[in-house]
Amino acid sequence: MDEFLRMEHVSKRFGDFYANRDINLSIRKGEVHTLLGENGAGKSTLMNVLIGLYQPTEGTIYLNGQAVRIDSPAQAVRLGIGMVHQHFMLVEAMTVFENIILGDRNTKGIFINKEARKKEILELAERYGLDVELDKSITEIAVGAQQRVEILKALYRGAELLILDEPSAALTDIEVEGLFKIMRKLTEEGKSIIFISHKMREVLRISDRITILRAGEVVTTLERSQTDGQELANLMIGRELAPSHYGKVEDPGSPVIQLRSVDYHKDSKHAGLNGVSLTVGRGEIVGIAGVDGNGQSQLAQVVTGVLTPDAGEVDMKGSKVAQFTPHGFILESVSHIPEDRNKMGLIGNMSVKDNIVLKSTDSPEFSSARGYHLKKKAIRDYALKMQEKYDIRCTSIEQETRNLSGGNQQKVILARELEGHPDLLVAVHPTRGLDIGATRFVHDTMIEARDKGCGVLLISADFDEILEVSDRIVVMFEGQIMGVFSGKNPPIEEISLAMAGK
Amino acid sequence: MDWEFISNLLLASVRMATPLIFLALAELYSQRAGLVHIGLEGLAAIGSLVGFLVSLITGSPLLGVAAGAAVGILVNMIYAYATINLCAEQIVYGMAINIFAPALASFIYRVYFGAGSELVQVALMRSLAAILGVTPQSFLLKLLLDQPPMVYLAYALVLFTAVYFNRTKSGLNFKAVGEYPKASATLGINVIGVKYAASVICGALAGIGGAYLTTCYATTYTDGNVAGRGFIALAAVIFGRWSAGGVLLACLFFGFCDALQIRLQVGSYGIPYQFFQMIPYIATVVVLALIGMKKAGPKGVGKPYLREER
Repeated sequence: MDEFLRMEHVSKRFGDFYANRDINLSIRKGEVHTLLGENGAGKSTLMNVLIGLYQPTEGTIYLNGQAVRIDSPAQAVRLGIGMVHQHFMLVEAMTVFENIILGDRNTKGIFINKEARKKEILELAERYGLDVELDKSITEIAVGAQQRVEILKALYRGAELLILDEPSAALTDIEVEGLFKIMRKLTEEGKSIIFISHKMREVLRISDRITILRAGEVVTTLERSQTDGQELANLMIGRELAPSHYGKVEDPGSPVIQLRSVDYHKDSKHAGLNGVSLTVGRGEIVGIAGVDGNGQSQLAQVVTGVLTPDAGEVDMKGSKVAQFTPHGFILESVSHIPEDRNKMGLIGNMSVKDNIVLKSTDSPEFSSARGYHLKKKAIRDYALKMQEKYDIRCTSIEQETRNLSGGNQQKVILARELEGHPDLLVAVHPTRGLDIGATRFVHDTMIEARDKGCGVLLISADFDEILEVSDRIVVMFEGQIMGVFSGKNPPIEEISLAMAGK
Repeated sequence: MDWEFISNLLLASVRMATPLIFLALAELYSQRAGLVHIGLEGLAAIGSLVGFLVSLITGSPLLGVAAGAAVGILVNMIYAYATINLCAEQIVYGMAINIFAPALASFIYRVYFGAGSELVQVALMRSLAAILGVTPQSFLLKLLLDQPPMVYLAYALVLFTAVYFNRTKSGLNFKAVGEYPKASATLGINVIGVKYAASVICGALAGIGGAYLTTCYATTYTDGNVAGRGFIALAAVIFGRWSAGGVLLACLFFGFCDALQIRLQVGSYGIPYQFFQMIPYIATVVVLALIGMKKAGPKGVGKPYLREER
């Protein structure tokens, strides 16, 4: 097979950080080439280089053997590179037809020749089996149909290489089947496809070749026929496993929270829970491992009272939870380190001091008359104490939290969430985006809370983190629990297989 | 109420609607590119003064209108640079234009004429009938011929705008920028360029709308002569559902209200005239209250466009 595109020694650096380093990648004509990697492995950056949004720091891109410079999305379109973004680039107020011809430079004249354009588009649609209704508005058609419009849009601009960024994320199973049929049709006609996904089952079904990225570098490129799910999972996660720094607890105390066959939107594989049973005891850390988007967010929201399960029971310290409200769970002494510290964890425009007491403004320590009058001095003194205890580095406790570094933001959250000695701590991606020092601090703090008798539910896409601190490891896949493993001498192979859904 | 009253009322409606049409079209172009502009009042004020001065100095109302357009563009570039390049809040900068531009107009007027000078007046733009040298008698001929050329320009612009946004490739791209700038950029549309083009058109039309007031409507400039028309035009765009035809109808409606209040002021005794003056504004409030909930404007309005950065 002929080669369509080749990247040689491509690197992309942001400041001192290499998002991509020395990438070599070759895309053949008529193949489905999968990019596989964890979040942050550098897949998106690499694709942004390819479609002209980023300029590579080093390296060369060849198209049909000739070196090219892709300095804008428009240039990428001219070179025949089209991308279907994960979040569709469709103008909702316009019709399918208008979206397809938008920005068109191929035709002459000022006016839109509707009949001629429609004929062209329909011919193209027929050739690749893309069923679209041209006169419908975007808001009237389903997600799968919107995706077909995006593909057609790229083809109409003469795309020879299509980049599909997690195309199946929002689709139903039937729609995924349809998509795969279209992808096969496209490759039969000699088009190339770069398929980005971390859904192992789909990757194994549709790929011709698979390139694994890890920490911004290419691990290897494999032929589909010469590999299997286990090897891929290992390559994706696999790295030297350092022994854990922390002692593991093997016999936890009485259950803090107990979930029995909990369902939430159970038909949604990537945003639901399906028959989840789980116990977190006092003085243990239960780590939820799994590729992002397999129901972990929903689990975190159920155990903090944000979402009400559709079915199943949740026991809190031995008694059944009747009402799911965040406030009720806070009163039950549940603390939460949310997945997005800027959106959910902190009020960015408020000071360090105010964020620290945000949950306890009703307490007599900080206010009289249940929050109607705040004791400014008490709050100040307390915040200063916390600043020292948690080593929060800020210009003053009056500094707005949005101006703090990620690590210090997380420390503000830890100070607020852990000082009340919670019975249950739900920590979601607690060290995402933090440097090694801050990560270590967060882990130490979690272990300390555990040793004081707090039950900790840790949800993280970072497998190392799970191995490092968990006393028990629970693997989630498509909203279900695939297995429970001991945190002491964990069976890595088995866990990575379970993460891939096997 | 007789035929004379009604025909005069309708003729006046058309005259009163014209500055609103210019202003509302200015707003339409701006919003279609994602820039909500509440500063039309200010742009019209400076356009009105400069139009007046130039027409006084040169004796040509047409040159006055052209100068009004030019100064409108100039002042609107402040808004454009701040909101497009610096991604500043559009409402804040619109308001800033509203405070800055009328004050500048007032200042220039005082500097030029000195305080307490007598009222200076200019000749108005002649109507088409006068230019042609005919005196139309019937209502229909008066409606069609006895209008200053600016009125015909306004209607021509409405027609042009309707065709532009609905039939041309460029118009489609223009609209896409106001709806989803990032998607437009991935299709190779020059988002920043379209936004600047919109700001130039908006500044020019708002300046013309202001200049109309001192070259075709009143013979002199007074502070506050725009009298909220910038805001009524904003309402007309919403009322007209962001389409050229709708905007035209909305402007005619508001123009009618304006004409009506003047007629009623003249013809009534015992009621303070201020009550009649309120009519156009009350109509605006009522109309917006009735349709305001269904926001259907361009989706990208008010949001700054940042090229993707890490």
